Amino acid sequence: MTMLEEPIKEPLQLKNYIDGEWVESEGRVKDVVNPATGKAIATVPISTEDEINEAVEAAKEAYPGWRRTPPLARVRCLFRLKELLEESFEEVSRIQTMEHGKTIDESRGETRRGIEMVEVATGIPSLMMGYNLEDIASGMDEYLVRQPLGVFGIIGPFNFPFMVPLWFAPFAVATGNCVVVKPSSEDPISQVKIVELVEEAGIPPGVWNIVHGGRTVVSGMLDHPDIEGICFVGSTPVGRDVIYKRCGETGKRMIVMCGAKNFALVMPDANLDRTIAACMTSFYGNTGQRCLANANLVVVGEGLSDREYDAFYQKVVDAFVAAAKRIRMGYGLDDTIHMGPIRDEKKKANVLKYIEKGIAEGATLTLDGREFEIVGDFPDTCFIGPTVFEDVTLDMAIARDEIFGPVANMMKARSLQEGIDMIHQIPFGNAASIFTQNGKWAREFQYNVECGNIGINTGIAAPMAFFPFSGRKESFFGTLHGQGREAIRFFTESKVVIQRWF
Amino acid sequence: MSNVSQTTAAIIGFAEELEDRSSAFYDELAERWPENRDAFQTFSKEGGKNKGWVIRTYQETISDALEANFCFEGLNLDDYTIETTLAEDASYTDALKTAIALEEKSCAFYQEVAKRSKSLLATIPMAFKRVAKKRDKRRLRLQSMLDQA
Repeated sequence: MTMLEEPIKEPLQLKNYIDGEWVESEGRVKDVVNPATGKAIATVPISTEDEINEAVEAAKEAYPGWRRTPPLARVRCLFRLKELLEESFEEVSRIQTMEHGKTIDESRGETRRGIEMVEVATGIPSLMMGYNLEDIASGMDEYLVRQPLGVFGIIGPFNFPFMVPLWFAPFAVATGNCVVVKPSSEDPISQVKIVELVEEAGIPPGVWNIVHGGRTVVSGMLDHPDIEGICFVGSTPVGRDVIYKRCGETGKRMIVMCGAKNFALVMPDANLDRTIAACMTSFYGNTGQRCLANANLVVVGEGLSDREYDAFYQKVVDAFVAAAKRIRMGYGLDDTIHMGPIRDEKKKANVLKYIEKGIAEGATLTLDGREFEIVGDFPDTCFIGPTVFEDVTLDMAIARDEIFGPVANMMKARSLQEGIDMIHQIPFGNAASIFTQNGKWAREFQYNVECGNIGINTGIAAPMAFFPFSGRKESFFGTLHGQGREAIRFFTESKVVIQRWF
Repeated sequence: MSNVSQTTAAIIGFAEELEDRSSAFYDELAERWPENRDAFQTFSKEGGKNKGWVIRTYQETISDALEANFCFEGLNLDDYTIETTLAEDASYTDALKTAIALEEKSCAFYQEVAKRSKSLLATIPMAFKRVAKKRDKRRLRLQSMLDQA
């Protein structure tokens, strides 16, 4: 076992970064607590309305100059940022483990995904190009250019504190816009680190700002007339009822990525060893706090007799539970740990509430995550072990609600169609996976399932930076998605020019 | 540590330590047997390169290695712990024998993790295989040094 060194030795006092300056907020501060150790590692300000307005003003002022900066010069800043992120790879990864609780492997994976966004955004000189056609009429040519829009607000979630704002900011900035980022106040440190590197990379003042806080900052962004669009990742109630609604009222474009309750269908011909390994990562990775995590595992009995189906179901569940029992829980900086704590005590209480609800609803608690062991001497405040329920039906809250914790439901479907129908009976449409070696079943699944991200023999259908992060139904509100070409469309407006010279 | 599912971080951490300890061992050999300093120093430097190669591959592919934790299930790292202590009165041939044993274990470790990580991105097993090959070459070189001693 190696306990990696903590990069934060003394509690940090976080500041806003507005117009190229680190400025103290007038707002109250709150502690950022390492969920594994229970120790405060920073204080973060809850900024005021004036402060968010000031940041938007700075971004608005920086915009004309940045827009006129040639795309090649803009991406040179991003190339430098990429290099600085590579140099800080280990430090920022460990910071994520400290502020969020995830394991060091998970943090390093998140860092890599974040850097990949910057890498893809450096392709803007090619990706942002329009198109043209000569002679659309006599002596007339037509062409399309993509133009940036101005200032965008980015509201980050707690579950991927480093990566998620990078789904948007590099694309926005590379296309010539300016951004104001509000990180989650629960784990804002890695965003501060990114902005330190943004500054070092030479991105001009006002282009990339950071304002910490809560509702006041979010409302300030939503209501501000100089913000053209909002990128939000968070819960469905906030996304749907606040962000989506208010953006509609104020005429802002939006990418609103929300909650999920994802299914994994295990077909009788699935490679079980590989399926279970993928499921452990999917159901329990990031301690279940991932919008692409699977939560409902459906064992499908397509083509099997009743007897064969019972045996197959039992085999899958036994293998799943046995693997879940081997998960080592502890502080993510211990490199032998598979699963860290839940982000905070309140979120743990919510998971516990669902476990109790599941029992009350009549599900069978096969593996009780309330009984667990922690590797190392750490308070149990935020820890909760892998949990498995059986006899779960779709009318139960544990099958329908996003629990955002390490809780897996084992369910049954007699046929592939029944499994697909089950997916469609819940309001979310973020992701779904199928484990099979049958191409016809896989094709039928990917063709018919109404989810934005489909996994075939993978438990986490996470699109790479050059593909959009899709999502449907109550999991996504808006038109264009984050990442890849859709992000470039989102952060630009098409302008068509038709010209003739006399 | 037996019968547990090793994390990728633990495997990489072990490889790092393996290379660091091997390099320190060859530095000591270079000091004690200056007539073969060049060879031992080359081995030591190579350790640094191996370490860099493995870490870089890991850091560049980790987002696709999410399932990696489960590839290494049951791998007992204690089986690959290397001996790098030399007695004060150890002879040159004793030192070479220790070095050969060290290389055999290291090579076995890299071959095993390469085999187990086949399901991950190709660059991961490739990196392990590459280091295993280098370690095996080094073993052959040490064997010929021993034969000539």
